[in-house]
Amino acid sequence: MNVHARQRPRDGAEPRPPSPSAGSAAPPLSSGPSGTAHPSRASQRGLNWFVFFVADVQTGFGPFVSVYLTTQKWTQVEIGFVLSVGSLIGLLGQMPGGILVDAARSERLVAGVALCVIATSALCYALFPIFPVVFTAAALHAMASCVLGPCIVALSLGLVGYPGIGARLGRNARFASIGNGVAAAAMGVCGYYFSAQAVFFVTAAMLIPTLIALSRIRPGEVDPDLAHGGATPAVSQSPQASFGSILRQRRLFILAGCIALFHLANASMLPLMGSVMTTRSGDWATVLIAACIVIPQGVVALISPWVGEKAQAWGRRYFVLAAFGALIVRGLLFATITSPYALVAVQVLDGITAACIGIMVPLMIADISRGTGHFSFAQGIVGTAVGVGATISPTLSGYVSDQFGSPVAFLGLAGIAVAGLLTVWAILPETRTGGAAPSENEMVPR
Amino acid sequence: MRRSLIVAAAILAGAGLAGPSIGSQLQRTAAQEAAPPAVLILGSRQAESVLGKEVRSKSGESMGRLIDVVVDRTGQPRAAVIDFGGFFGVGNRKIAIDWNALSFESDSTRSNVITVDLTRDQVKAAPEYKDKRAVIVLGSSGSSPPAE
Repeated sequence: MNVHARQRPRDGAEPRPPSPSAGSAAPPLSSGPSGTAHPSRASQRGLNWFVFFVADVQTGFGPFVSVYLTTQKWTQVEIGFVLSVGSLIGLLGQMPGGILVDAARSERLVAGVALCVIATSALCYALFPIFPVVFTAAALHAMASCVLGPCIVALSLGLVGYPGIGARLGRNARFASIGNGVAAAAMGVCGYYFSAQAVFFVTAAMLIPTLIALSRIRPGEVDPDLAHGGATPAVSQSPQASFGSILRQRRLFILAGCIALFHLANASMLPLMGSVMTTRSGDWATVLIAACIVIPQGVVALISPWVGEKAQAWGRRYFVLAAFGALIVRGLLFATITSPYALVAVQVLDGITAACIGIMVPLMIADISRGTGHFSFAQGIVGTAVGVGATISPTLSGYVSDQFGSPVAFLGLAGIAVAGLLTVWAILPETRTGGAAPSENEMVPR
Repeated sequence: MRRSLIVAAAILAGAGLAGPSIGSQLQRTAAQEAAPPAVLILGSRQAESVLGKEVRSKSGESMGRLIDVVVDRTGQPRAAVIDFGGFFGVGNRKIAIDWNALSFESDSTRSNVITVDLTRDQVKAAPEYKDKRAVIVLGSSGSSPPAE
C-alpha cells in the first residue's frame, strides 16, 4: 500500500516532458495540454504534511469548543448560538470562498492567510472567552475554513495536474485522517491533564509547523491556471460567460444533489449510534464510542491512496455507488444489531464510505469543472449541498428517533441512502476522462 | 463576574451608604422605598458558582459537567442537568439528576468537583433531558417527592 502511494500515478500518460502548448497562457514548465505537471518530491511531501497539520488545527475546534465554553460558565443557549452562527457562515461562505480561491493567483498565500486567521481565532478562544470575542472568532474561523478547504484541493490539482489528481487526493485523505487521529489523541490528553483552554493554545501553536509544511511546497510547481481547473480562452470572456461555463454543467448539480442525499443519510448516523451506545453500555460507552470514531479514520488512512488510484483507472461511479452501498448496509446493521462490539465492527463500513466519498467528490468536481477556471467555485456549490444535507440530518433523525425509536431512525437514514444510490445509478454520469481532453461522450451514464 | 459585582456592591455599601451589617446572615427585607438593597457577602469557601463544574460519582468516575439547574415554582433547585458521557462530542446526552443526590462539599482530595450518589451504570439509561418537557429526574428519593 505504501509503495503504491508513493508511486506516480500510472494511468493516462506516464510523466513525460511537456509538449509545447499551442496558444496556451500556461507557464512553460509546469503543464502541458493534457494537464500534466511534474511536482518534485519535496513539494509532494510538503503537501502531505500540510494536509496533516491542517487536520490538526481544525480538530482543535469542533468538540472542544462546547466543552471549553461550558467550563467558562457559558450557558447552553449562548454556546448553541455561537456554534449555529459558525455553521451558518460555513454554509453560506462555501460559494464566496470558492470564488475567492479561483480568483487568487497564489494558493499558498491564500492558504497561509486563512491559517493565520484560524490560529488567531484559536488564540481568541483561549484568551478572551467572552461573547463578542468568541462570536467574532467563530465567524472568522468559519470564513477561513470556507477558503482553506478548496485551497488545499486547488493546490493539489495545481501541483500534480489531472492525471495525478486521483492518487494525490487519496494521499490527502490519508494524511488528513492520520492528522485528525493524532490531533484528537494529543488534544484529548492535553484537555484531560491541563485544561480545555490549553487545547486552543496548542491549536494556535500548530500554525508554525503548518506554515513550514506549506513553505516546502515550491511555488513554481503549482500552476495557478491548472489549480483553478485550467485556463481556457473562456477566462478572457466576460464574467457572465465565464461563470456560465460552470453553471451550465448539469452534471455538477446532479452530483450536488446526490451528495446532499448522502450527507442527509450519513451525517447523523454516528452521533445517533453514539447516543444509543451511551444508553446501552455505561462504563464502556466512552471507549466504544472512541473506537467508533477511530476505526473509520484508520480505514480511510489505509485504503485512500488505493481508492484514489483505482478511481483514476476504473472510473468514479463505482466508488460513489460503493459508498452509498456501504452506507445502506451500515444503516440496516445499526437498526438490527444490539451487541456493542459488533456495532464497533460495523464502523469499518463508515471508513469505506468516507474514503470513497472524500476522494470521489473533489475528483468528480475536478473532472466536471475542467477547462472552466472555476474549480473552487464548483466545489463551493457542492459544499453548500453538503452543508444543507448535514444540517438537516440530525434534526430529522433526532425527531424520528424521539417519536419511533432509534431502529426506525436508522432504517429511515438507510432509506435515504437507498434513494441516493438509485439517483446515482440512474442519472449521475461517469466523469473520468482518462487524462485526455474532456469529451461530451463521457456524459452518458454507463 | 457575579462575584466581582457583589464585591463592588459591598464596597459601595461599606462606604457609608446606609448598608446594613455586612457579612451577616441572609436578610430578606421587604423592598424599602429608595433604600439601597441589602448586601450579603458569601465567602468563596461558603458558596460557589456551579455552572460548568465537573460531576463525579463517589468512586471517582467522571459523569460529565453540570450545565443547567432546574428549579420549581418556588425557586427551589430540583434537578441538575448534566452533560453525560460521550467522546469528542459524540454520544453525550443531557440527563437530569436529583438536586438532593448531589454533594457540593469539596473534600481535600477532590476539590472543585461535585459528587453524585449514582454510578455511570445507573445513569446510562436515563431519558434525555429536553427543555420545556416533563423532566424525568434520576435518583430522586427520600426528601423530594417524585416529579408529577
